[in-house]
Amino acid sequence: MASATGAASHPVPPSLSLPPSQFARLQPHAYLLAHLSPPAASNQPSIRANGRASSQFRVTSANAGSLTHTNGSAVVRMGDTTSVCGVRAEILRTEDIASWSVSRTSNEASNKRRRLAELNEKPNEEDEDTAADDEEDRAHIEDLNLLVPNLSLSTGCAPGFTPGAPPSALAQSLSHQLLSLLHSTRLVRADDLRIWYQPPSLGPEELERHNDDEQMDVDPNPSGGVEDHKNREIKGFWVLYIDVMIISLAGNPFDAAWASVLAALRDTKLPRSWWDVDSEMILCSDNVSEASKLSLRGLPVASSFCVFEADAAAGWRAVVIPDAEEQKARSQKKGSQQRWILADPDGYEENLGQERICLVVDKEKGGKGKTVVLKMEKHGGWTVDTDDLRQLVDISARRWDEMKRILDQC
Amino acid sequence: MSILNVFNSPTTFALATCVMADRRRINGPPGGTRPAIYATSLPSIKDADRARRQRQPSELRKIFLKTGLIPSASGSSYLEFEPSASLAAARANPKSLIPPSSALKLACTVHGPKPLPRSVAFSPNIVLTTHVKYAPFAARKRKGHIRDASERDLGVHLETALRGAIIAERWPKSGLDITITIIEAEDDRWWGDAPDSHDASWGMMNVLAGCINAASAAIADAHIDCLDLVSGGVAALVTDNDGGAPQLMLDTDPAEHRSIVSACVVGYMPARDEITALWLKGGTSKAALDEQDGRSGHEALVDGAVDAARGAHMVLGEAVKESMERALGQTT
Repeated sequence: MASATGAASHPVPPSLSLPPSQFARLQPHAYLLAHLSPPAASNQPSIRANGRASSQFRVTSANAGSLTHTNGSAVVRMGDTTSVCGVRAEILRTEDIASWSVSRTSNEASNKRRRLAELNEKPNEEDEDTAADDEEDRAHIEDLNLLVPNLSLSTGCAPGFTPGAPPSALAQSLSHQLLSLLHSTRLVRADDLRIWYQPPSLGPEELERHNDDEQMDVDPNPSGGVEDHKNREIKGFWVLYIDVMIISLAGNPFDAAWASVLAALRDTKLPRSWWDVDSEMILCSDNVSEASKLSLRGLPVASSFCVFEADAAAGWRAVVIPDAEEQKARSQKKGSQQRWILADPDGYEENLGQERICLVVDKEKGGKGKTVVLKMEKHGGWTVDTDDLRQLVDISARRWDEMKRILDQC
Repeated sequence: MSILNVFNSPTTFALATCVMADRRRINGPPGGTRPAIYATSLPSIKDADRARRQRQPSELRKIFLKTGLIPSASGSSYLEFEPSASLAAARANPKSLIPPSSALKLACTVHGPKPLPRSVAFSPNIVLTTHVKYAPFAARKRKGHIRDASERDLGVHLETALRGAIIAERWPKSGLDITITIIEAEDDRWWGDAPDSHDASWGMMNVLAGCINAASAAIADAHIDCLDLVSGGVAALVTDNDGGAPQLMLDTDPAEHRSIVSACVVGYMPARDEITALWLKGGTSKAALDEQDGRSGHEALVDGAVDAARGAHMVLGEAVKESMERALGQTT
């Protein structure tokens, strides 16, 4: 009924014109190009087909802690891309680590060194980690696989991915990117994941009390001094299984996945845990007030870009590295823009450009310090130069502010 | 004594069976990991703490159902059950890290009708493929990445429920893929109870009912002709006090009951009063029904499930209406 009246109210289109949605499907490149470089006479601003400016990101929303069976969880929506992340913590006992007794001695040594350094310097616990701490973090988290991120695209998120099939190349690559970013940003501190045991040097009647005092974290009272820490030993680790389900995929899965991982880790609470001498196992307390949040290092935010070239065939021609004169001519010609860098590309735009840039930036001291680039990845083309990258870092820094606001609210 | 308690607890570690290393995924530590064992709560597990049903026997949980959340699919839906009273209380005022119960959350996508690949033999009807997968964090025990038997079983049950409703001969040589991702599943029993002889995967039946509802909303959202909206409903015979006769309850959350004697899930088409799928587990002979009620136990159980399905059908109708309004808004 409604469609009949709709058809009646519109005149029959002339035979050679197409409605925009069909034109977009038949001639995607020309469609996007027409939006980005409108004819000068039309007086329209250059805008993307989805109505965004070229450096504009999609509307992002995040919601944390809504899943029951997780230690931390988050849902992040960036436009039509939706990512759900759940963090589950399980215990890795040191006796299950094959090489533990071999490598332990060196770890203990560096551990003691670190404790001493901590006591002497009393660092202001922000990002002032000692070199020894860095090395040990890396050793524990990376060698023992304490962070296990896996991303799944077999959720029916887009038509191309058959559910039930093994993870596609894209899913594997995204999982690996998440893992390497978790490692390289050193987001999670190994100290949060360690489960300590302090053999009692006290009388047996005080054993009970002492067990209660035992914390999985560093003891807050330095008055105990070196003696207290001397024969502490690690009995286990928390392993964080970070599972990301991309529920809906409409371009730029990495930014959404990383944002959901970040939000879920910020939401993650680990129960207080200790080594129980009687039962010879690690036990946890289910008391919420005793559980501790992870203390993450900084807030790395990922922003991805894709390059759209006006010349559709550019990618197919033989690449000739321009010499200096040609380069100059090219830069003078820049007024008539030959390519656009599109922030946060959606699925439609992703199909139209080969060149991708991914930047991960952080700002020191909660946004007041300078911007730090943690990852810079560019592949698929050669049109983006250093100046462009510098601009993109600025855009990413602005995106950082936006994401921080969103993540703080959730 | 306390040690014994630890070992009898339902959270007793099951050593993570290290399946063959999956080279396409990132695997955890090779020695395997164990779920956390909560000790302090064990002596204090009291019956007073257990989750209890606050609803009337015939009162259903509220269902949140929304269509069209996944634009790249031809049809999609998201379904969520209202959290039970105990879970809502635990969320508002968190005390323990152990959740008292959980609320179903799932996303469903429909891709198709699409041409079948050349390798597939000719089919005069639409070829329906269903796929149900739990997220690894969906249940109390971590699920693997590869579908296990129970997930495949759910897929088969779902296909049975939907196949009868779709007018299959309208799409010869086409395929229809229905994919369901369960983000949060239902428990099989209260977490403090040890598995016993009454135990079965009761939570799966609620999950199946949710899957049926979400899938028929998504199929309608994909504009695929059906005889009716198939809706799913669950009813169960439960005993909440020892020695009592089992009572009939609709839309049971297994975590809220002491023991479930039998449960039934149906896929039901209200317009034709037809049942497309019926799955009944457990014995129904001891059911406590009214004196004048001439029905046998299993009849009462199936009727209960059908009543629950009728309730879900109203929600489905609303969701589909919303989906159609959106579709009309796009075309005009």
